[in-house]
Amino acid sequence: MTTTLEHTKTASIPQGGGLARRQNFLTGLIGGAIFAWLFWFLAHHFLDATSRTWSDEVAASVTLGWIIGFWLGIGALNAPGRWLIGKNNTRADDLYLAGQGQGKSRYWKFTTDHKVVGVQYIIMTMVLLGSGGILAMAIRTELIVPGNHFVNQQVYNGFIAVHGMLMILALIVAVAGPWGNFVMPIMCGARDMAFPRLNALSLWTLVGAAALLLTTLAVGSLTMGWVVLEPIANQAGVGMDFFAMAIIVFTVSTTVAGVNTICTVLTMRTKGMTLSRLPIFVWGAIIAAALGLYAFPYFSLVEAMTLMDRTFSTSFFVANAGGEGWLQANLFWLMGHPEVYVILLPAVAALFEIAAVMSRKPVFSYRTAVAGMTGLAGLSILVWAHHMFTTGWAPTLGGPFMLTTELISIPTGLFFLVLIGTLWRGNIWMKLPTVWMFGFIANFIIAGVTGIYLSDIPLDDQLHGTMFVTAHFHYVFVGSVLFGAVAALAFWFPKVTGRYLNEFLGRISFWLVFIGVQVTFLAMFASGLKGMPRRYSSYALIFEHTNFITTIGAYIIMAGMLVLLGAVITSWNKGEPSGPNPWHANSLEWLVPTPPPLENFDVLPVITEDPYNYGEELVRS
Amino acid sequence: MTTSNNKKSYRGLFLTWAILTIAGALVGIFGPSRLMPRSMSDNMHLTILTMVVFTVAAAPVAAGVYASALYALRHWAHKGSEVPPSGPAVRENAMFVTTWLIVSTLLTVFLLIWGLGALAVDNSSTGKNPLVVDVTGQQWVWSFSYPGTHVSSPQLYLPDNREVEFRVTSKDVTHGFWIVNMGIQVDANVGVITTIHTTPDKLGLFNIRCEQFCGLNHAFMVTVGHVLTPSQFASWLSSQPQQA
Amino acid sequence: MNRSKSLGVALASVLLGGGALALAGFALSSASPHQAALNCIPSQTAAHTCSLSLSTFPDSMAGEQGNNGGVHPDWVSYSNDNLAVPANTTVDVTINQYDSGGSLNNTFFDRVMGTVGGVAIIDGKTVSSVDPTNVGHTFTLRGIPGSGKTLFVSVPLPADSNTKPVNIGQGQYTKPVVVQFSFKTGSKAVYEWNCEFPCGSTREGQFGEAMSAYGYMSGTLTVN
Repeated sequence: MTTTLEHTKTASIPQGGGLARRQNFLTGLIGGAIFAWLFWFLAHHFLDATSRTWSDEVAASVTLGWIIGFWLGIGALNAPGRWLIGKNNTRADDLYLAGQGQGKSRYWKFTTDHKVVGVQYIIMTMVLLGSGGILAMAIRTELIVPGNHFVNQQVYNGFIAVHGMLMILALIVAVAGPWGNFVMPIMCGARDMAFPRLNALSLWTLVGAAALLLTTLAVGSLTMGWVVLEPIANQAGVGMDFFAMAIIVFTVSTTVAGVNTICTVLTMRTKGMTLSRLPIFVWGAIIAAALGLYAFPYFSLVEAMTLMDRTFSTSFFVANAGGEGWLQANLFWLMGHPEVYVILLPAVAALFEIAAVMSRKPVFSYRTAVAGMTGLAGLSILVWAHHMFTTGWAPTLGGPFMLTTELISIPTGLFFLVLIGTLWRGNIWMKLPTVWMFGFIANFIIAGVTGIYLSDIPLDDQLHGTMFVTAHFHYVFVGSVLFGAVAALAFWFPKVTGRYLNEFLGRISFWLVFIGVQVTFLAMFASGLKGMPRRYSSYALIFEHTNFITTIGAYIIMAGMLVLLGAVITSWNKGEPSGPNPWHANSLEWLVPTPPPLENFDVLPVITEDPYNYGEELVRS
Repeated sequence: MTTSNNKKSYRGLFLTWAILTIAGALVGIFGPSRLMPRSMSDNMHLTILTMVVFTVAAAPVAAGVYASALYALRHWAHKGSEVPPSGPAVRENAMFVTTWLIVSTLLTVFLLIWGLGALAVDNSSTGKNPLVVDVTGQQWVWSFSYPGTHVSSPQLYLPDNREVEFRVTSKDVTHGFWIVNMGIQVDANVGVITTIHTTPDKLGLFNIRCEQFCGLNHAFMVTVGHVLTPSQFASWLSSQPQQA
Repeated sequence: MNRSKSLGVALASVLLGGGALALAGFALSSASPHQAALNCIPSQTAAHTCSLSLSTFPDSMAGEQGNNGGVHPDWVSYSNDNLAVPANTTVDVTINQYDSGGSLNNTFFDRVMGTVGGVAIIDGKTVSSVDPTNVGHTFTLRGIPGSGKTLFVSVPLPADSNTKPVNIGQGQYTKPVVVQFSFKTGSKAVYEWNCEFPCGSTREGQFGEAMSAYGYMSGTLTVN
């Protein structure tokens, strides 16, 4: 590290560098297109066209070509390539790669600065949420009345698969992506992430995966749901190959990001930043990252096996050739349940942070907060088969899995203890982040209680596979995680832009989304209780009223999210200026200028106490 | 904005909690059972009872969180653009945390005991001369056959008050066999026979739906069944064409 | 930003965004394949009777996929997918079966079920079941039971072993097996029908491709 600090805006653009310095998103797209075409050409002409798996082999080749070409085109492989041939990046190269002196154009490049990556993650989250949201509206429009009027069953089935996966991707990155990158290294007192180039790689790999996932809709014939159910996924058309490859590419992204997060927290903390002085959000980010490192290999494994069944005629999941669908279910849910907490923990940890700052009190019972998150992560790897209670697989394991599942309510309960304990007798500053936090508390209780029903096997034998389950996990994802994510956005928005997220618009959005969530998903609970299965493209007349209400509620959520989008767009450049520390918080990200300079600190700070000393300053001074 | 944490103000908290608890319990007792389909078997009675018990048990907990959050909003919310003064520097409260842990553990233990007990009852078979029905799922039709009789039917016919053992399998992909009014579900898997028991105890019509996504026309993989008196069932069975 | 300006932004967001979504939805709905329903032709002689005429082909060159066979000219197809019939009517169905065949994977479907009299007339012969090892397709109709109304009709269509060539559209076939049957409709409802013979080639249970794609081997029957 140099001792002099080169500021992003003042430093001049380093000269030279040739072609590699002109690479950006556009050249990435061009590279991806060229390689996709090249791989298509080779596969199309040289693979055996009479094979029954030919079209899948061609499709898989195209996806592989796309991601390789995209990496090459955007310059993701430049530095490792140079290292390989002995021409290491110079300091000037690294600073250029970090976006020095490149203004707004650095947001469209393979830029290593963690703050640029953070902003890129904000945009990616919005793109993913937006596309998934559009599909949600399409699904609800189809279900507004019985019968297939809006789109046919085949198109509808594609919608539910892609909506599910887009939203899972969006929520995995919704908090950990933007804030795990933008503020987390500063919170630790680091100049950047431990591996800045890997950081950029994780972001652009996510972009590559998202592009593949969106393409699946055009390629079509996705009759397998977002969980890629087997053996039915083996029946689906070539869109399925795109879908599987999108997930495999996505897991590369999360693995790289997870390793980076863990290494950053473990090795890059500044002097005095002991583990017990870490801001609580950093704990949430690292626990989620560690859990993701455990979970996501199953994800790429199960999709790779699906893809091999389809392209190489293996039979991992083909029942009449020695495989079985239960294997897919096991592998998928070994990933699938931990993944829920990979999504939830960063949001909850961000809310702990927000609760402390906004109620001007220390995080209540910091240790149970950490223990609760760790306990949840640990338990979550032991509960996967509760998704399989009704499959007929291993009925004797029903009791044990019910036990582990219900134990989860203890660490989950600790989240309420910490949140309510922190708010209790505080001076709760009712700003936008606080408002969304209260929304989270209200919704997360409903999510938790309905989860208890589903963990109980006799009840699950009635409710499994119905809209009740759909409503339950939407209370988790929309009602809880999304509210946490918006709270985090409102909280750290001033650090990114130097401006507040518009308070008034934010509150309109809050009320629309909050009311919309209750209308949509309470009615959906009713549909489920009445006996409507999930993933129905049409339904019997008895489900007419509850579905109509759900669709109206979904439109209200959409209106709320559009207002939020309007608020983000108008506040980004024109919002009310906030100064570097609008919430008068004590953690390091608020003590650096806004926007934080490249490499964050002139001199690395030395930490003597945790950032939650509200009410304690007076005693000591 | 300043707090007065005297006993009088906590009365409001308690009152809110009590009202919300009662409301939650009432919803639990009257809500689900009104929405859920007509109960026609022992399993379904247990399902609805469990739903009620869990809701009533969860009501005070949920009400506690709601009441505390509302109480905090009412008494300690600080509006305006100026930063409020620091609150009390309370980091720990051993008594509160311990109580919380004990209460939540006890509640979980209660759920577990109830759940494991219900599971044992739910899965138990009387073993007394059950009627065996073979259930076959195929995209997107259910068919039922009665072993030993050469009778098969697209609709399910069951006698009243006799245990039925369903042996479920699939011809193509995984389907989910669900008798909506009897609270039983099991997947129909290719190459595997899964079994499930129930004892119908009400006469009449019931619904069967596929609850595992099975492709293009999943939504249409539905049929109906009928619970008949034993004599009606016997005459239905003998009136059916025999299939080789 | 003051309050009225903010309100303006909120309104603009909802209207612009909602408008864009509505437009996209309209475009999507128009682009999504919906085939026009084939209407049941009322009988001139008998009241409350109408007739439907369908065909099953070994490819898609002659049916609704169009003269060029659409995206998958080699996929098996029914001539029509969406059917519309009046309520409380006897529907006389004639199906010309042009395809070859093989064994059912579920012998349940070798029976004629749910038709008037429980029989079908196949090439002039009245039958109640067919040889399960020589079936081309089936016509299997079922409903969403709402308050107990339900409909189940399943008729096997034997494999075509004729050799006399016939041309329809751009397709070249052999003289068909003619299957006739009647069923009675109840009150208004939407039902779904599909083929239960595993004719989708490759993959699980031979139910992939044409069997799992909209507009080939399945459709709706709307009673109105």
